[in-house]
Amino acid sequence: MSMSTSPALRWRSVPSEAIAWREWDGEFVVRNERSGSTHLLGALAGQVLKVLVAADRPLSGADVEQRFAAATGHSLGAAAEIDVVLGEFGRLGLAEPAPA
Amino acid sequence: MIVGDLSRRALAERLSDGGLRLRTGPVVNRIQSRLPSVLDGIALHYADHIVEDDEGFADFHVRVAPPTNARRWIAPQVRFLFDGASPFLPLPANQAFAMLEWGLNWCVSSHCHQFLIVHAASVAKAGQALLLPGDPGSGKSTLCAGLVSRGWRLLSDELTLLELATGRVVPLPRPISLKNASIDAVRRFAPEARLSAPVHDTAKGSVAHMKPPTESVHHAADTAQVRWIAFPQYQSAAPARLHPLSRARTFIHLADHAFNYDVHGRKGFELLAQVVSDAHCFAFEYGVLREAIALFDRLASRA
Repeated sequence: MSMSTSPALRWRSVPSEAIAWREWDGEFVVRNERSGSTHLLGALAGQVLKVLVAADRPLSGADVEQRFAAATGHSLGAAAEIDVVLGEFGRLGLAEPAPA
Repeated sequence: MIVGDLSRRALAERLSDGGLRLRTGPVVNRIQSRLPSVLDGIALHYADHIVEDDEGFADFHVRVAPPTNARRWIAPQVRFLFDGASPFLPLPANQAFAMLEWGLNWCVSSHCHQFLIVHAASVAKAGQALLLPGDPGSGKSTLCAGLVSRGWRLLSDELTLLELATGRVVPLPRPISLKNASIDAVRRFAPEARLSAPVHDTAKGSVAHMKPPTESVHHAADTAQVRWIAFPQYQSAAPARLHPLSRARTFIHLADHAFNYDVHGRKGFELLAQVVSDAHCFAFEYGVLREAIALFDRLASRA
């Protein structure tokens, strides 16, 4: 019997020009130009969004963690937590899942 | 010319005929009313305000008058008219001046989109503004009345206007609206303050207005830089205490308290970000007005 795992969902952010943000002391406020909504993001969500906006291709939670670690030498946290953040971005219209 | 230069008769004639063109900060209101209580309220609270030329431009054309129906003989009411239309339900006649005040607030918050308008009291010392955004019942007007009674300059009691280009506060010094227990609290704290007689049983409870300090009206053209933002919360007997509030959370709360943040889109975001970046931000609780004023005086003295 063969076992298969579904590939991790990959996400891309809305274009960088559709987002305005400010960071103060590790917290972020983000304005989504497409929805007109403004959101308060904690440190993890803010860093995830930064990585996602800078990415040249859709990223999974593991990809985000890898890129953050490569850039900063620090870990963002468990990929599962990052996946939750990415799902929340999808709900807020800050990111969307890329076709497999 | 200021309102105080007009005799009672001359003021009544203006209000009855072509309208009193009353300057309040950056706006001119053309006010018409034959009601003695409106005349009394304007004579008391706006004595220091500039009267513009009869033929000059007015931003808002408003009237406070009884409805034209039979009810006027049974339970007298008044209505607020804006450009001849009545945007609100009538109120009991004894609330005429309060209705004018609420109506003028509505004119500004609904139309003055040349500013970012925050639901906040604001005062200044040495050109540096303290913003007190808060929901009804937070104690912001009480605090505002207390501060201006102790030398702070009144910028606005209810609607803080932020200049889009600079983020500076454009003063809108008008009467301070006090409600319920805060009326006596301010009377005790500042016996010299000029308050109107309370009107009871309004939608907000008992309401009295406090005349804005003359100096504040004279400096209505002097904008102020936002230096402090404090979200007040009155709590009986609580010691006056400032709790640092992160700038990101301050931004979100400030946007929540803005009337027209969404109207300005990205410009509104950039403006609030600039204001928050340059300010010290707090949550503030207090239960004794005297302690609260002393705390803000200390804060200003360290600036």
